[in-house]
Amino acid sequence: MSLTHLNVRGEAHMVDVADKPESRREARASGRITMRPETLALLAEGGLPKGDVLATARIAGIQAAKRTHELIPLCHALALSKVAIDFTLDEVESCVEVTATCRLNGRTGVEMEALTAVSVACLTLYDMCKAVDKDMVIDAIRLDAKTGGKSGDYRRGEGVGGGEAAGETVVTGAEGLIVTGQGRGGQVAVGSRCDIASPCVRVKCLAELRERLGVGELSVPLADLSRPDVGGLKAALKALDPRFAGLDEGRVMCAVNQVMAGDRTPITDDDEVAFFPPVTGG
Amino acid sequence: MVADPRRCEPSIRVQEAPFDAGAEQRALLAGRTDIGAVVCFTGLVRDFNECPEVTALTLEHYPGMTESALAHIVTEAEGRWALDGVRVIHRIGRLAPGDPIVLVAVASAHRRAAFEACDFIMDYLKTRAPFWKKEHASEGDYWVSERHSDHEDASRWKA
Repeated sequence: MSLTHLNVRGEAHMVDVADKPESRREARASGRITMRPETLALLAEGGLPKGDVLATARIAGIQAAKRTHELIPLCHALALSKVAIDFTLDEVESCVEVTATCRLNGRTGVEMEALTAVSVACLTLYDMCKAVDKDMVIDAIRLDAKTGGKSGDYRRGEGVGGGEAAGETVVTGAEGLIVTGQGRGGQVAVGSRCDIASPCVRVKCLAELRERLGVGELSVPLADLSRPDVGGLKAALKALDPRFAGLDEGRVMCAVNQVMAGDRTPITDDDEVAFFPPVTGG
Repeated sequence: MVADPRRCEPSIRVQEAPFDAGAEQRALLAGRTDIGAVVCFTGLVRDFNECPEVTALTLEHYPGMTESALAHIVTEAEGRWALDGVRVIHRIGRLAPGDPIVLVAVASAHRRAAFEACDFIMDYLKTRAPFWKKEHASEGDYWVSERHSDHEDASRWKA
């Protein structure tokens, strides 16, 4: 095992990932901030002077994940397809547990993004609460799990090992936030959950394809897919409605969570899958 | 930012409103004396395309993915040429012949980089950014087909 950020002369360098294959990468990190029980109570009931603490910390964590490359010198700039931040208020331990899940289809892992998101969310919690409690302690920031990439899957306590199907390791946050890439001013679009209670996929047909098929948006239960990938989704759509045979007519492109995808691209709960014709802008 | 602080963040916008190419170019150059060349391309709606009499055009996009695709294209251009600023604006919604539809402004110390990067960004925008055109003509409405020549143009940049 060697340190990939050091070259043969021992100098720091950015790893060239141009020739690495793209794959679905996910990482989940967590951390916690321990505070006085009174502070936690104020936080829970929204009585802190700076306002909605958790909502602010969530946006801070999402923004931080997207800007990791500006903070950690040798990290690549990544177009994350998803960042979800979750908080658990633990009254027994008198702390807030923070978890961050990051995902993309790409050539580098996203564990630094998940760790940065947790760190900055914790710092924001500190900032929002410090007026009433300066004794707070941030600790236990760590990677819980990652999937995808050459180094294999990882789960804290199990060490490195493969075999875990992508999507099983990382649980989608209850908020189901979808970050739609690096738009103007770091815009964040919040995707809505499926309208079906069970795990499902949100499907969109765009432009000429929407008019040809007569379908704009629909949700498909994940359980209807014979295989958890785009090919499996296409088969499920065709079984659902004969109009979807049109997905095989002419050139039809596909994006999963707004990243170009192919039939073998994996799909998990609450993914957004778009089908559209070749682009004609400009 | 770890980058040179003088370097402007690329400005990428997808909007219904018209734009002023002159104002955009001035904003790109504001306060800068190290820029030696700026190339500013504006694409316009033509009144002839697949049909001879196009009366209007409607542009659809995929919010989020469109912006990130444009950002990727600009990042790739910045990796290939030494650029001092890039501005990309693409309009959506209903447009009339003669209306400006897309702006790509590229600033650099030297003209070759500015010319080439602008050309590159337009070629990639036309083949990779999720926009779709529907033309309205006297014969009816139809979605514009992809053009083989656009893909040939884009393939020129493959090293």
